Amino acid sequence: MAGDYELDGFAVPQELDKLHALLARIGEEHPDVSASDLMMFETAVTEVANNVIEHGVPSGRVHWTFALEVRPEELRAVLRDEGEAFTGEIRTDMPDELSESGRGLPLADLVLDELAYQRDGSHNVWRMVRRRTPAVAEGE
Amino acid sequence: MDIEQSVDGGVAVLSPSGRLNMVAAPQLKKTVDASVADGLARIVVDLSGVEFIDSSGLGALIGGLKTARQASGDLRIAGAGEQVRTVLGLTNLDRILKPYADVTEARHGW
Repeated sequence: MAGDYELDGFAVPQELDKLHALLARIGEEHPDVSASDLMMFETAVTEVANNVIEHGVPSGRVHWTFALEVRPEELRAVLRDEGEAFTGEIRTDMPDELSESGRGLPLADLVLDELAYQRDGSHNVWRMVRRRTPAVAEGE
Repeated sequence: MDIEQSVDGGVAVLSPSGRLNMVAAPQLKKTVDASVADGLARIVVDLSGVEFIDSSGLGALIGGLKTARQASGDLRIAGAGEQVRTVLGLTNLDRILKPYADVTEARHGW
């Protein structure tokens, strides 16, 4: 996907700041995107990125690229990484209240309208879509 | 991440700022553990300076809550912003981590 916004680097925790900065830029350049939609999209994208950082093999050396796109109807992101194939479950239940982990992908799934994973050759490809809340027209 | 710490009337107030994510979460958990080890098991985490939380941050709060309760204390959260409150609600964690408006309200009864 050719995105309006792109980022590439390595799947390490320090790179998350760049992702947040990119989403902040989207907010500045697209004031028509509701703050709530952007906030939830940022939450989901971060969780999917976390998942790649935590489970990407070889750890710390997985190259990734992000492409984010603002469409009139939706926000889309594609994360491609060059790590080994992801073998975990994409859709799992929210864990028990006292669990200290396991909420990342369930949380992302909750705030996205589409969350899909596929292995494409030597890449893992994560697609994320959140449909935008329609803006209320002036005077309504 | 900077975590300001203060003690008031036997209650530890921890105030992280910035993003409570996978980088910062272990620091918060370590700070809670140190507080409990110092005999301060009643802890308020003031989230008013936290602009964003992820599932690692939630995990650190739950871990801290368990550590505090094991020492007969508790961990309460205060001042959560919109993103934090939304995420707490979506994950149903607002049932065990009730968001108090501010530190004063969180300390009520302690």
